[in-house]
Amino acid sequence: MSEGALPKEDAVLRVDDLQKSFGGLAATDHATFAVERGTITGLIGPNGAGKSTLFNLISGFYEPDGGTVEVNGTDVTGLEPYEVADHGLIRTFQTPRKLEGMTVREAMLVGPRNQPGESFVKLFATPGAVAESESTNLAEAERILEEFEIDHLAAQPATDISGGQMKLVELARAMLAEPEVLLLDEPVAGVNPTLAKKLKDQIRRLNEQGTTFLLIEHDMEFVMDLADPIVVLDQGSVLTEGTPEGVRSDDRVIDAYLGGGT
Amino acid sequence: MSLLSDPEAAIADLSRPEKWVLGVSAAFALFLLAALLTGALGPTYFLFLVGLAGMYALLSFGLNAQWGYTGLINFSVAAFFGIGAYGSALMTADSSPIAGGFNPLVGLVVALVLAFVLALLIGIPTLRLRADYLAIASLGLAEVVRLIVLNERWLTNGSAGVRGIPSFFEGWPVLSTFPETMPGLRLVVIPGSPILLETSFWRASLNVLLVLAFAGATFLVLRRAHQSPWGRVLRTIRSDEDLARALGKNTYSFKMQSFVLGSLIMALAGVFYTHLNLYVGPGDLDPITTFYAWVAVILGGSGSNRGALFGGIVIVTIREGTRFLNDVALPIDPAPLRLLLIGVVIVAVMRYRPQGILPPQRELIWPSAVDDAGSDPPASGVREQKGGGDDE
Repeated sequence: MSEGALPKEDAVLRVDDLQKSFGGLAATDHATFAVERGTITGLIGPNGAGKSTLFNLISGFYEPDGGTVEVNGTDVTGLEPYEVADHGLIRTFQTPRKLEGMTVREAMLVGPRNQPGESFVKLFATPGAVAESESTNLAEAERILEEFEIDHLAAQPATDISGGQMKLVELARAMLAEPEVLLLDEPVAGVNPTLAKKLKDQIRRLNEQGTTFLLIEHDMEFVMDLADPIVVLDQGSVLTEGTPEGVRSDDRVIDAYLGGGT
Repeated sequence: MSLLSDPEAAIADLSRPEKWVLGVSAAFALFLLAALLTGALGPTYFLFLVGLAGMYALLSFGLNAQWGYTGLINFSVAAFFGIGAYGSALMTADSSPIAGGFNPLVGLVVALVLAFVLALLIGIPTLRLRADYLAIASLGLAEVVRLIVLNERWLTNGSAGVRGIPSFFEGWPVLSTFPETMPGLRLVVIPGSPILLETSFWRASLNVLLVLAFAGATFLVLRRAHQSPWGRVLRTIRSDEDLARALGKNTYSFKMQSFVLGSLIMALAGVFYTHLNLYVGPGDLDPITTFYAWVAVILGGSGSNRGALFGGIVIVTIREGTRFLNDVALPIDPAPLRLLLIGVVIVAVMRYRPQGILPPQRELIWPSAVDDAGSDPPASGVREQKGGGDDE
């Protein structure tokens, strides 16, 4: 069912004929779509449509049974998550776990990729370079926290902030990893409307600054307002894709959500 | 925080548990001093105890680098300790069935290499899996190593153990003959109970020097590693490995580094033990060593180097201190109560202070980076304050 996939000139993420089964169940069934650079692409679908499986396949947490994933034109199929991240694809999780024993500032500093201080040898061989990169990253972390208007949380234990604040911190931290494309798994699930609005504004702002987003979200109002285009997933494959208006009025989408047969 | 230059400010800067630990340590030191002066505690035996404390501190440092930092569950502390002890004993002892007679430095290197290889062998198949698999495999490893040492007589002398181990400083200039060249001293602090400092005392003081060097160097390495981005990745893995992977960290490699580092430190404790005790036997690989190391780390506060040090000292105090209970007339022999006492202590800590006595407390960011960025240095006791921030 890939007739909905439009040819994309400049795709930062391309998923082609991706398959994954658990036992006899095809969780991802020949899914094909692309995320164009500079967009906020929404990924929706009824419960059990295979959205989370698709995320795990794209980010390397699951190995696909067939098909390919390309990030920036490079085939990343079957690579480890950290290798996929190295190609510029960063993801967040539906329920972010809080980092025990860290302040928000420390939790932020996990974000930057390939820090010199992550090499045990360099800690002792070139401590100067480690300190320098740590200062840069710390300044950058504080700048991003300020942009997100959560700099007052910096010294708080990461375990003491609310779930909604944690979602903001997670988004802020993902930005420190300088993603080309950022996959958000239900960014506003369980978040109060005020914070959800804040998250929406932040995503929009970051998008205007050049980050491409692919997000799963159940909150229809949120996703219809924020994302364009929208990819609809049903029973593991792409049902259709298009503008929010087009998707909203598509009978197949309504059928899928209401549980009618396809 | 310089306790010497400005003691008042330094003490005021401490958190409550830190003050408590400082107070208890000071009282304990005074008690030991009194015991030494009155002759109740022989100075040579005292130095032996300091050596043991250093050894347990090393074991706790090693386990802390695995469990405290990264959350790796290693139940084969005794195996790595034993590999270190046997590795150096077999290289240096006269009675060694294989090599023998080498310089203790060679023994040190061989022991570390053996521990390194063993850590890799057990890490490669298990560290890609979930945490429980390492726990199970290490449980088996400990027993396998112990049984090999017990049964492979051509290699290890079996149950007879290895004797004739030289002191660590054998063959070194000055230090190798230092104990013999020092004069015997007779100190009279309290009339009637002179304190004799003889060759054995000087030999013991060399051992203390050695363990201070081992533990001191280990502490400095660990402190730097713990507050670095490297340590931060390990702490992230402990809370949420998938998060670390999603952020581009090769968690398998980090877990392996943490596991190997900890195992090397445990082997270092074994090397020291060999030259402290001058005899190693299969009994030294009993699982009780693993148990003590775990208690020390949990008691001190998982993830905290200072906590591991403190926990190690507490373990030796309980283990050896209960010997003195023999002098007091008790209706039952106190030796079996030792484990009970440790059990009670650990239950009490878990009940009233589950994070341990000295949990990692300060923010762990490469220190000079904080200064460079011009932000306020992270206040002490960050984790002691609760909430406070406006919530949403």
